Amino acid sequence: MRITQKAKEKTAKNILRAAEQLFTDVGYKDTTTRQIAQKAGIATGTLFNYFPSKEALAMSLLAEEIQQGRGDYLKRRSGDEDFGEDLFLLISSELRRLKPYRNFVGPVLESTMSLFSKESSCPAGESTRSEHLQMVRDIIHAHGFSKIPDYISTTLYWSLYLGILAFWSTDESRNQEETLALMDYSINVFTQTISNSAL
Amino acid sequence: MSNQTQQNQNALQLKKVMQAIPKEINEEAPTKDPLGDLISQISTRKVPVNSLTRLWALGSMQAKIAVGYLAYAMRSIFSNKNEQERILNETHLAAALKLLGTMGYLRGAVMKIGQLLGNLPHIVPEEVAETMERLQFEAPPMHYSLIREVFLDEFGAEPSELFATFDKKAFAAASLGQVHRATLKSGEEVAVKIQYPNMAATIRSDMANLRKTLMPMKLKQEGRYIFDHLDDAEIMLHHETDYTREAAFMAQVKELFGPEDLVVVPKVWEDYSNQRILTTDYLKGKHLRDYLPTNPDQEHRDHFGTLISRAVFRIYGAAKTIYADPHPGNFLFLDDDRLGLIDFGCYRTLSEEEWEVQIGAEKALMEGDAKGLDKAIAASCLFASVEEMEPERLDYLRRLSFWQAEPMQTQGPFAFGDKDFFQRGIDIYSESVKRGYNRHNSLYNWWARLISGHRTLLYRLNSNVDYRHIYIDEKTY
Repeated sequence: MRITQKAKEKTAKNILRAAEQLFTDVGYKDTTTRQIAQKAGIATGTLFNYFPSKEALAMSLLAEEIQQGRGDYLKRRSGDEDFGEDLFLLISSELRRLKPYRNFVGPVLESTMSLFSKESSCPAGESTRSEHLQMVRDIIHAHGFSKIPDYISTTLYWSLYLGILAFWSTDESRNQEETLALMDYSINVFTQTISNSAL
Repeated sequence: MSNQTQQNQNALQLKKVMQAIPKEINEEAPTKDPLGDLISQISTRKVPVNSLTRLWALGSMQAKIAVGYLAYAMRSIFSNKNEQERILNETHLAAALKLLGTMGYLRGAVMKIGQLLGNLPHIVPEEVAETMERLQFEAPPMHYSLIREVFLDEFGAEPSELFATFDKKAFAAASLGQVHRATLKSGEEVAVKIQYPNMAATIRSDMANLRKTLMPMKLKQEGRYIFDHLDDAEIMLHHETDYTREAAFMAQVKELFGPEDLVVVPKVWEDYSNQRILTTDYLKGKHLRDYLPTNPDQEHRDHFGTLISRAVFRIYGAAKTIYADPHPGNFLFLDDDRLGLIDFGCYRTLSEEEWEVQIGAEKALMEGDAKGLDKAIAASCLFASVEEMEPERLDYLRRLSFWQAEPMQTQGPFAFGDKDFFQRGIDIYSESVKRGYNRHNSLYNWWARLISGHRTLLYRLNSNVDYRHIYIDEKTY
């Protein structure tokens, strides 16, 4: 019997929900793909038809949240933000969605979004990166910054962004307020860099 | 010798203060040990000039004056036995000042630390009055996206969800954050003070670095007391990060004043307040800098000077607390002639023991008990007996005490706008910096802040106040 696209999507969703539950209850590190498959009611082998690894699975989970965060950003944006404020709103909206997964954002992003590879090791990571960067490019252009070539500004931005995510994932300060201060400062530095009239 | 010449000779001149800022502030430190690296790192930090980088405090003239004073005060306690010691001291001084500069996320703190470390005196009345005020109003701005995140973290809701209206732009800066106007859903107009994220931890780490930078300096024996004052400054700054503490004190002070006192302390809205956000009634009124250009008549100047003095005495007598931040930004002149007190972050409650010592000193001073006063002075300067004190120091502190007590000993209205009186105070404080006097209980840093702040305020207001009458009236002992 052929499995319909709809059924496939449903299974993928089941797997994601099962993983989400286990990551929360057992912890990311101690959760196995076997446990996830079991909880989702499928064979372990079947799980790999959907997600090649635990990291890719987790990245899909994060990608969902990041996408929702981007949706939040578009809803929250009033249109009268200046550049830094706009960018801050985008990143903070995403982080807020990612908050429940903070303890495994680090290992997942490390394996799926390394700065050393041009592309992410999984489709979910790749689409997350390109969609996020497209949004950032849109923001940069909307605010009229055009002095620096896109590939330079996005490369600079991407390393800054991953740096913020990495810092946030292990930030032990109250409400991760240290990350807020870091973001504020970093975005200022970035703004200063891409708006530098000397270039 | 004319009065003016005398003043010029005694007071620290602005030129001297500016000259005290190390010229080689960007020079790399020669050491390569961890401390050396820290100093090197701080010393080579470039001064950002772009307005987008808001973390540098020494860009303004006002901050330079504060730092210049600090440099002057520090040099007076240096022990420069040889060239090597002098170079070491200068290197560390430059690094310490640089570090203070990067602490400009709280520009007001530069002034506060300066005051606490050096008992920062004033240069000339007009200059310092403006300096104090501008520094206090120059805190770094937080944009609305950041404010929203702070609210979501603190209350789980956006400002627009919590309040009926919320101004995205701040209307005033606080030393550790900023203040926004808002309206509660029940209709009350409020002022919402929001703290910049991570202040407490930043202060802790900056102060630790500052201590490490100052520690290796070769100081005179007297200079070592500066570390006690630094501890005290850190406690003060740390207290200011806790808005819950401020709210509690505000509520306590509010109880001390009735409608007949014409002194208003805004109500705290507890449901909208916590450690990092403080929501109070919004008071409509003018700050000193907006009030003075309205050319108030003498009656109003005297009236507000009286209210300010009464407020300070009431808090002291009834709550045994020094209200240690009487700078102009914390007072509001209301249209109906009432005085608004709006900031309670900086105060120091005396212990029973300190209170007893204080009363003793005051009695001796007011009753003309010279021996008793000397004894109290010696104790406040941590000497076991009067005999241990050098005669010059004792003489200096007597003169300081007399100057402080003069308005309390004068029958009838005291003219706080008298330039000669104000200048004498400045000269006395300047002398302390020149002589490098640092040996005293840190409690007196708080006193110095209160007295110098109060006197500056009343000088600018040009108030005549029956100070003795208020003092006797408010005395609780």
